[in-house]
Amino acid sequence: MNGYAAQALDVIWLLPLLGALIAWTFGPRLRAAAGGICSAVVGLAFAGTLAELVFVSRWTGMHWGFHQSLVTWVPGFTLGLQLDPLSLIWSLIITGVGFLIHVYSIGYLAGDRSIARFFAYMNFFVFAMLTLVLSDNFVGLLVGWGLVGLASYFLIGYYIDRPSAVAAARKAFVINVFGDVGMMFAIVVVFALFGSVSYTDVFAVAHDLPSPVLALICLGLFTACAAKSAQVPLHTWLPDAMEGPTPVSALIHAATMVTAGVYLIARCAPLWSSSPEAQELVGVVGAITALCGALLGIVQWDIKRILAYSTMSQIGYMIMAVGVGAYDAGVLHFFTHAFFKALLFLAAGLIIHELANEQDIRKMGGLRKRMPLAFWAITSGVLAICGIPLFSGFYSKDAVIYGMLLHGHPILFAIGVLTAGLTAFYMFRMWFIVFFGSDRTEHGEETHASSWTMRIPVALLIGPTVVAGYLGIAGSASPWSRFLAPVFDGARPFEVSTPLNETAVSSLVLIFVACGILAAYLRYGSARATSRDTLRLMREAEGIPLFFRRAFYVDDFIRVLIVRPAQIFGAFLSRFIDPRFIDGLVHDVAWFAGVLGFEVRAMQNGQVRGYAFTLAVGVVAFIAYFTSLGGVR
Amino acid sequence: MIVPPLYYIALSAVLFFIGIAGVLTRRNPLIMLMAIELMFNAANLALITFSRVWLNNVGHIFAFLVVTVAAAEAAIALAIVVVVFRQAPNVDVDQIAELKG
Amino acid sequence: MITFATLSIILVASAVFAIAAKSPVHSVVGLLVNFMALAVLYLSLSAEFIAFIQILVYSGAILILFVFVIALLSSGIGPFNVGPDRLPKLLIPGTILSALALGLVIRMLANTSFTPEPRIGIALGPIGAANVFGSIGDFGRALFTLNLLPFEVTAFILLVAVIGVVLVTAGESHAMPPMKIHRKARKREAIVKEHH
Repeated sequence: MNGYAAQALDVIWLLPLLGALIAWTFGPRLRAAAGGICSAVVGLAFAGTLAELVFVSRWTGMHWGFHQSLVTWVPGFTLGLQLDPLSLIWSLIITGVGFLIHVYSIGYLAGDRSIARFFAYMNFFVFAMLTLVLSDNFVGLLVGWGLVGLASYFLIGYYIDRPSAVAAARKAFVINVFGDVGMMFAIVVVFALFGSVSYTDVFAVAHDLPSPVLALICLGLFTACAAKSAQVPLHTWLPDAMEGPTPVSALIHAATMVTAGVYLIARCAPLWSSSPEAQELVGVVGAITALCGALLGIVQWDIKRILAYSTMSQIGYMIMAVGVGAYDAGVLHFFTHAFFKALLFLAAGLIIHELANEQDIRKMGGLRKRMPLAFWAITSGVLAICGIPLFSGFYSKDAVIYGMLLHGHPILFAIGVLTAGLTAFYMFRMWFIVFFGSDRTEHGEETHASSWTMRIPVALLIGPTVVAGYLGIAGSASPWSRFLAPVFDGARPFEVSTPLNETAVSSLVLIFVACGILAAYLRYGSARATSRDTLRLMREAEGIPLFFRRAFYVDDFIRVLIVRPAQIFGAFLSRFIDPRFIDGLVHDVAWFAGVLGFEVRAMQNGQVRGYAFTLAVGVVAFIAYFTSLGGVR
Repeated sequence: MIVPPLYYIALSAVLFFIGIAGVLTRRNPLIMLMAIELMFNAANLALITFSRVWLNNVGHIFAFLVVTVAAAEAAIALAIVVVVFRQAPNVDVDQIAELKG
Repeated sequence: MITFATLSIILVASAVFAIAAKSPVHSVVGLLVNFMALAVLYLSLSAEFIAFIQILVYSGAILILFVFVIALLSSGIGPFNVGPDRLPKLLIPGTILSALALGLVIRMLANTSFTPEPRIGIALGPIGAANVFGSIGDFGRALFTLNLLPFEVTAFILLVAVIGVVLVTAGESHAMPPMKIHRKARKREAIVKEHH
């Protein structure tokens, strides 16, 4: 029976590519129909993934998972697919949330001229992401890694006539390629050491490696993670990536692609668990990212940028968790985050769509009555992201924060708690500003009503936003941990005894969250704050320190330290090296050919006797050769 | 055969290179053609000499074919000369340079 | 040996005369002498059939063709004239080149030791005897048995030549536009003069 499942996996993997090819090839003719076709394709893939979950777990019990060889590259290097609990979770999110977002996009982009191109990119992205998570070796991982970067580049720059979108796409691509290089480096080291790129071979012997080498591999892989998952200091592309259409932000820059780093670390858990240095590094970077994202989220006015920084912050949590060894918690947070962040983005998309592409929260306000669906959706998303009990984020985020303590990182724990409070503050700030207070919209007349294709996915996402976290109730005895046990059992790092139990940690977090909500209410939600709020918000916007407004000067640092030197180096090359050596060589060759042609042309004078003379010279040379070198002896 | 065969070959070579010199130095197409006939004959002489030395008449056959080809070549070449001469009052191969590169 | 020496002198002298003569008619006469002497030389090499072919085809057909063309071209238009020499420098190099090549070949021949292995089973005999080497019977047997295919190919080549000649001479006046060699040549001369 496993054979059917394996073949079905091939189909699931290739379906989105098929959809992309169809949309690409017949795009101009399909036009709006492309949306339906591509959504159906992803829906089919989702149904297939669900079937895999149901049937494969029934046949093989808890310790399940299988490989499917695709091609034998060089003899002995078989590239293939694998389905195990970890890749299954990611596949479910990619195809499931992906399907809803596809359906949503039909409405969101209705009337767009190049809608078929959009859906081709989206399907291509789903294919690339599936390649990434289903691959059973590092090479396939790298291929998927690069392809999702490409798909992200396409989709951020989807509005090709908008210079800022194109610039953002380029920035994202360059930073991602920087990460790809790190990953390629790690893979080369892995191959040099193990002579294999397959996960099973590598992880089987990872424990025996000397720790500096292991740390080097992890560092290379983490460079890729940091670039793809927007970790400090490679995070600057993510806020800019909001130039893409909102469904793209929901699918790629919130739910799936940016969590590829989490997947990578979880997948390489045996490597990380054997390398305390790498764990330390990843945990610290994750914590810094979580904190920075939250701090920067406070000072944003663009609704999508707020969500982008919150994404960055939440991915910081996940990276922190998988970094220190709390793999179950990290992956669970990915799982819940995919739902509530997609929901937040899609609901924000409803607002943006209805207000004719207005993204500034200062120009929203009082939308609670006007858009009840968006209000309830964002409310549930905000409650989930803040970790309010009974909402999914509560279970996953508390598991992450408790995991810090459990694996002996009290400082990271403190940062996690603090960030939770900040998260509550900036999310509720957005919530109050958008839905309460006076109506500050400027586009009262030219609103677009949202179609049902947009409303239904939003409504459907509210469900998992609430309940997805229930899987993780009861810590290591939860169904979640038991499901993931085959993946992480070999790589569970030690746990330390903690001074606080889970309830105490949750209470502590909730206190911080309550403080955050209270602060947000006092500043943005109370009756005193909502009176004359237009003026107040404007004044506040002016009062934000430059340090925050420039996002901690990270972009400026990168510009000064990397971009400028690179530009100067490039200018040097183009000024001195290129014209003299590269162009010079080309010109010399051309000049030589020209001279040669000119000389030879003189011989082609049409004079028969001239030709005869040339021929005779050849004959004489021939005879001379034979008589002197001895053709005849 | 009292005369050494190499003498015949040497004679053939002399005639051949006289023919080459004729082709290279003359501009009258008729004389050039005649020089080419001379070269054909020089080659034939060598063939027949070797044929005699080896007592093998394949050389004769080959010489016969050469004669035939020479006849065909002369016929076509002279036809071309006649055609060209109809177009231009003087016949000079140096002026027939239509294929100039 | 005396025959060979005499014939050699005649051959070289007539060949040089043929290529050096001012008038094509003189060349034809030189060539006629050359071909006749060559036929005699062939006889001395026991190649009696080729000797007759030489006289028939070369002296009888090809040279007559040359004479005919000369007569055709000279009739009515005046003397056969040749335009200006465009490659005057070629005279000396051409001669030197030929002499050089000849020297090389002669040197090679002088260094060659030549040990033929004659075919067994064919006799040499006096000119005109039947079934000796080079006789018509010997040649005919060789031509029509072993070498029949080349012979047929020869026939085909001649056919193609005939068709080609007909096309070149008869078709041009209708099908091809006149080449206008003269005008172009003059223009080119003018350009060359400008350059110098």
